[in-house]
Amino acid sequence: MKTIYKKLLFLLLLLPFNMLAQSTLSGVVLDSKTNQPIPGVNVIVQGTQNGTSTDFDGKFQISKLTSGSKIVFSFIGYTENVINYTNQNSVTINLVEEANQLQEVVVQIGYGTVKKKDATGAVTTLSSEDFNKGSVTTAENLLSGKIAGVSINTSGAPGSGSEIRIRGGSSLSASNDPLIVLDGLPLSNIGVNGTTSLLSSINPNDIETFTVLKDASATAIYGSRASNGVIIITTKKGSKKLAIEYNFQYGSGKAFNKIDVFSANEFRNLIFQQYPIDNVTPAQAATNQGIRNKLGNANTDWQDEIYRRTDFVDNNISIRGNVLGLMPARLSFGNTYQEGLRLTNKFDRNTFSLNLSPSLFKNHLKINVAANYSNQKSRFADGVEGSAIRFDPTQPVYDANSPYDGFFEYYNPNLPGNPYLNPSIANPVAQLLQTKSFGEANRLYGNFEVDYKLHFFPDLRAVVNVGYDRNSGNSRTNRPTTARTGFGNNNISLGTDFYAENVAVNSLLDGYLVYKKKFGKLDFDATAGYSYQKFENSGLEGYDAVVPQAVQRGFVADNVILIGYFARANFSYNDKYLLTLAYRRDGTSRFGANNRFGNFPAASFAWKISEDLFKNSTIISDLKLRLGYGITGQQDIGRTLFYLPQYNIGNVNSQYSFGGVPIPIAQPSAYNLDLKWEETITYNAGLDFGISKNRVRGSLDVYYKKSFDLFQANAPFADGSNFSNEGPQNIGDLSIKGIELGIDFALFKSDKFQWDVNINASKYERRIEKIASGLPVFVGTNGAGTGGTSQIYQEGYTPNSFFVYKQLYDESGQAVEGAFADLNGDGTINGNDRYIYYNSDPDLILGFTSNIKYRNFDLAFNLRANIGNRVLNTYKSTGSYYSQLINGELQNTSPNVSNTNFETQTGEQILSDMFVENASFLRMDFATLGYTFPKWLEGKASLRLFGGVQNPFIITKYSGLDPELTGGVDTTIYPRQRQILFGANVKF
Amino acid sequence: MKSIKFKIIAFLSFSILLSSCDDDLNVEPTGATNQTVEQFYAQPGAYKQALAGVYGNLSITGTGGAGSSNLGGIDAGTSQYSRVLWYLQNLTTDEVVWSYENDPGLREIQKNIWTSSNVILRGMFSRGMFQVALVNEYLRQTSDAKLSSRGVTDPQLIAEIQTYRAEARALKALAYYHLMDLYGKAPFVTENDGIDFFGPEYNRQQLFEYIESELIAILPELKDARTNESGRLDKAFANMILAKIYLNAEVYINTPKYQECLAKCQDIINSGYTLNSNYLNNFTADNNISNEMIFSIDSNGDTTQNYGATTIIINGQVGSIEANGAQFGVGGYGGALRLRKQFVQKFNGTQFDNDARNTIISGNRSVEITDVLDRDQGFILAKFSNISSTGTPGQSTTFVETDYPLFRLADVYLMYAEAQMRRDNANADAASLGYLNALRVRAHNGSTVGNISSANLDFIIDERSRELHWEGHRRQDLIRFNQYTGGSYNWAWKGNAANGVPISSNFNVFPLPLAALQSNPNLTQNTGY
Repeated sequence: MKTIYKKLLFLLLLLPFNMLAQSTLSGVVLDSKTNQPIPGVNVIVQGTQNGTSTDFDGKFQISKLTSGSKIVFSFIGYTENVINYTNQNSVTINLVEEANQLQEVVVQIGYGTVKKKDATGAVTTLSSEDFNKGSVTTAENLLSGKIAGVSINTSGAPGSGSEIRIRGGSSLSASNDPLIVLDGLPLSNIGVNGTTSLLSSINPNDIETFTVLKDASATAIYGSRASNGVIIITTKKGSKKLAIEYNFQYGSGKAFNKIDVFSANEFRNLIFQQYPIDNVTPAQAATNQGIRNKLGNANTDWQDEIYRRTDFVDNNISIRGNVLGLMPARLSFGNTYQEGLRLTNKFDRNTFSLNLSPSLFKNHLKINVAANYSNQKSRFADGVEGSAIRFDPTQPVYDANSPYDGFFEYYNPNLPGNPYLNPSIANPVAQLLQTKSFGEANRLYGNFEVDYKLHFFPDLRAVVNVGYDRNSGNSRTNRPTTARTGFGNNNISLGTDFYAENVAVNSLLDGYLVYKKKFGKLDFDATAGYSYQKFENSGLEGYDAVVPQAVQRGFVADNVILIGYFARANFSYNDKYLLTLAYRRDGTSRFGANNRFGNFPAASFAWKISEDLFKNSTIISDLKLRLGYGITGQQDIGRTLFYLPQYNIGNVNSQYSFGGVPIPIAQPSAYNLDLKWEETITYNAGLDFGISKNRVRGSLDVYYKKSFDLFQANAPFADGSNFSNEGPQNIGDLSIKGIELGIDFALFKSDKFQWDVNINASKYERRIEKIASGLPVFVGTNGAGTGGTSQIYQEGYTPNSFFVYKQLYDESGQAVEGAFADLNGDGTINGNDRYIYYNSDPDLILGFTSNIKYRNFDLAFNLRANIGNRVLNTYKSTGSYYSQLINGELQNTSPNVSNTNFETQTGEQILSDMFVENASFLRMDFATLGYTFPKWLEGKASLRLFGGVQNPFIITKYSGLDPELTGGVDTTIYPRQRQILFGANVKF
Repeated sequence: MKSIKFKIIAFLSFSILLSSCDDDLNVEPTGATNQTVEQFYAQPGAYKQALAGVYGNLSITGTGGAGSSNLGGIDAGTSQYSRVLWYLQNLTTDEVVWSYENDPGLREIQKNIWTSSNVILRGMFSRGMFQVALVNEYLRQTSDAKLSSRGVTDPQLIAEIQTYRAEARALKALAYYHLMDLYGKAPFVTENDGIDFFGPEYNRQQLFEYIESELIAILPELKDARTNESGRLDKAFANMILAKIYLNAEVYINTPKYQECLAKCQDIINSGYTLNSNYLNNFTADNNISNEMIFSIDSNGDTTQNYGATTIIINGQVGSIEANGAQFGVGGYGGALRLRKQFVQKFNGTQFDNDARNTIISGNRSVEITDVLDRDQGFILAKFSNISSTGTPGQSTTFVETDYPLFRLADVYLMYAEAQMRRDNANADAASLGYLNALRVRAHNGSTVGNISSANLDFIIDERSRELHWEGHRRQDLIRFNQYTGGSYNWAWKGNAANGVPISSNFNVFPLPLAALQSNPNLTQNTGY
């Protein structure tokens, strides 16, 4: 083995070998505690290139020694051991496992790592033991509520994506999503058919660490994509010891809250009260009797009917080890099955992950190969909440006579084809059960990294990382002709036969050099490199085969190519003063030649105050001041080639006929030659502290960000000057200022009892400083009508401020229907009387996590709170009117109508400020209790059994279903479920 | 030695790695639906296809189906050319109400309380100016220099392109005519102006002069009336716009031009159009073949899908109570459109009982609309249909087949009579009476029972509404008759009062949209806004 190894070395690398015969030492390296041999230990003669590593049995042999040589034994996770060579023949070396691993937490900073204590930016790392417990289907939920300044909002759909915001988001209409880097590969956010979200194909059990880079001094190394922060994910690798782990989890969930509606009996009473037949004219009585006759005899709770109890089953097995003592390897399989609350909705994911990380040539050559495959199959369910809360509760779900597969529907039995009545609501249960909507996606992703420390110049490392991510998927939806929700024409239902597919490929090549050298008291390291990344997307456009003359067309999206040159230097003087300088020059295919490249510099400084001022303090164990400055960019505007003059060709439905022959129209599309990067300048000041031997550790950060040249997707063009009246232009400015605090307390720290608590709090304020022509931009739906809006971007205010009418109230405090303050005093109530009233950003975000271990018991839970966030409750704003009781047929509405007594829904009334509610909340995401049998199977394994509750409670004054939603307008959401969980972890 | 070799290898591999791939950033569009300008014009048929793009803007809002739009700030379907035009010319008058007042800007439009931030006003302004930009681009791409640089030498194609260019110019004149009528001013942009040019403001006088001279200039290049292939415009189209601006010249430029109007009307009448013996065949799924049609805007349930005027009119006709979608071959919108009382009164009297133009459905409905949101109030109409003159329903019940009748012969007859009376400051002469009675005879299925023996201007304004209601003329007509603003004629919900109240004279033109004003520093707001 050893000789082959050496031959390989010789042949492949043509290394200069000194053949002079000298003294030889052999020996074995053992773990000091277990006395087990440690394979792969580096054995190097200090100050020379001479070295080897231990074999599978921990043995080594090293020659060319001279008396007095110092031989260094090192292995990651163990304290280095140095011996003096005094012509011994053999030795036994004991390596001691490093006790204080916490001090040496390594932080990913992009194209390299830094020790946590030497970090100069606002960076937070979570490793697997810090992750959230409970049922976690998508990876980002591992860190919900754990990090100050990071908010994660996930819908209730299984496998669904999340809105992740770091420090609130620094763009208006460009993406506010942070850059996510998985094992060195920045992920693309191109949607793929059949997937539920960007991170849904990743098995959370494969993740080793999350590192969140928050300020620009840290993120600038990612230049043009870094304005909204960076989340770096690393996956688990092999280990020195063989370890097999099996995790099982089961959860049973159900809906725990429903939207308030009238029950069947309440509804009957209300209809009788609203449509009297006594003391009215005979004609009115006849009309009202007709309405009363529409009532059915059933008592249906439609929300109960569309939801169900759910199952969640999660199985994971992983094997870690060190193959042949040379190649740390990890192999894992996972299966996650999660049912959604909506009938038929489910998510089923299989993952396979392989990681190899061999070190060759005395650790000069480190290779890391990560190969992951994931297959996800979903059955999707339409969002039928809106129908369920409005459907007449006196009607049954099923109707034996119905031609709609036996489902109750409103239809005309006297016409051929039994056409459904228009307007009327479709039966939501039928819609779920008759719709067969399936998606499947296969994703192959991974990276191959070679890290070579030059033999002739060991201060220099060369790293090449190749990343690849191919995500292909399809979705298909079928509805029978007996479903009313299919496509219909001329009163003939044709059903649905929809199909779409696409493949998104993201490939990356990074190469960089790292130089590291100590000059006396100055530690210096520098990184410089190049990055090339390409995003491709192609497939078949979605089409419904039953629609006459429909044809399916292929598409090839414009490639997006990003090129970056980057450099970073770290200086550390006397281990007290740290300086980091970073620079990136980025190019993107999204912009024209003049604006294609952007420069993104950053600088940060840190002073380990504790080393200077509190060296002997028993209270302050750690204190570090950080100051950072940087410029970052944003290039993700959703449009690929908007700088380029182009022609658009009409599709089959967009033709114009000359002489009876349809011709697909061709029109020039709008363009903007001057498009360029958004630029964000960030100033950050932070204090990292440790008190009482780091029993209390934390960070306090204050920051100010200002974004310039913001993309405004809909900035107006002068009419007639371009091929639209608006389009993306770099016009706006946005500022964000904030403060955030995160503290870890080790409240108890004894062998028997440990209690760790994390508290974090953040507050930020976003303000639009400038928008195009100072012209307000109307955004956010109003929940009714065609394209109506309820929010505004206006200079001087927070984005997504509510833009509403000021409700007037009578003396008893009762809102007066249709009465609003004439704010501009012109005697007319119109759009000019709307005003800005709060916004959807929270004033304060709080997070709390507790982990308790007592003997073999463990208890964990978290709490999250948002304070001061506002929500427009559109169910109330559009439903608090008696006129809503009829739309063709009877329909249910918000019981709030009994409070308002409003008659008629109008465009003004739905935008009354009375419907904007304070949606502050406190919620617990999970609580788990476990017990560990440390010496299971005669000490060969350990077993942990646990049980818990996912989403146990939420406390809020908000009157809608759930105050936690994105954008601030509640138009019914997919409800989050409450689950009872139990599971087992087995470790061999 | 060996270490030097290594250094060389290392150096080479890194320089390859770092070598500039910056040219890769020049990405070309790869999709079949997006092409660079030169990729597009390299194809055979491109010039006609781009012309379809210019015409298409009258009917289609974007290249990706009915829900797509090349404009922003307004719902895609609502921004359709004939629909916004119809909203502004009809919904703002006594002829009709739209039930869904939650649709952005809608209530302000139909109750005459609009402001410069109204999205429908922005939709029309931007749609019209988009037409101007499309034509300018077409003229730039079809210049002699461009054609020769692309190697277009086929003389027949070059000749055809000259006709295409003239037609494009006529469509630009049409857009400026609409903007002049509605807003009284517009930024003036020509094919010689580059991208992102701030067009100077042209007032009505300047726009009038431009439209007039432009149409006169291109008349010789246009095909004779009724000789072009269907869907494309001809000399009668240009003459019609000229007749329109001459008829309204007193409003636009304070100068009567009735003689000029008469001459243009006569030109059109002499070009071979005939009244369709069935009035309603001008509004059916096959109305494009009506002999009376001078120009109609294409619509097709399959190939030309749009939420344009005819789609929303026909779906809107379907009553909330009657649910009579099958009568028109559509699904319907549950009672979107209803008639205001003052329009219904135009057909009061037994003489209109058998008038083919009277398609009012009263049922058990009240003629009064006290609550616009109550779709059971007010009479409804049955004029337009997605079923052909021979009884064949359109291909789709969502998107209609029916073309929007922009210009038809009956309008010319009425314009002739009106211009004659105004020119002579007298009642209708024999020729005018002949034209007016031709419409009456047609309306009575060939019978003369409805014929009149004399007519004055008061008759004309009402007769125009009876003949041309819901066809995009009413606001312009009422303004010409001084019955739009002020209090000489009030209709239900005029000025946001159930019985109507006077509105200020500045409402004779719409305000320039706020977005247009703020994005072009050359533009100024109309008086009173």
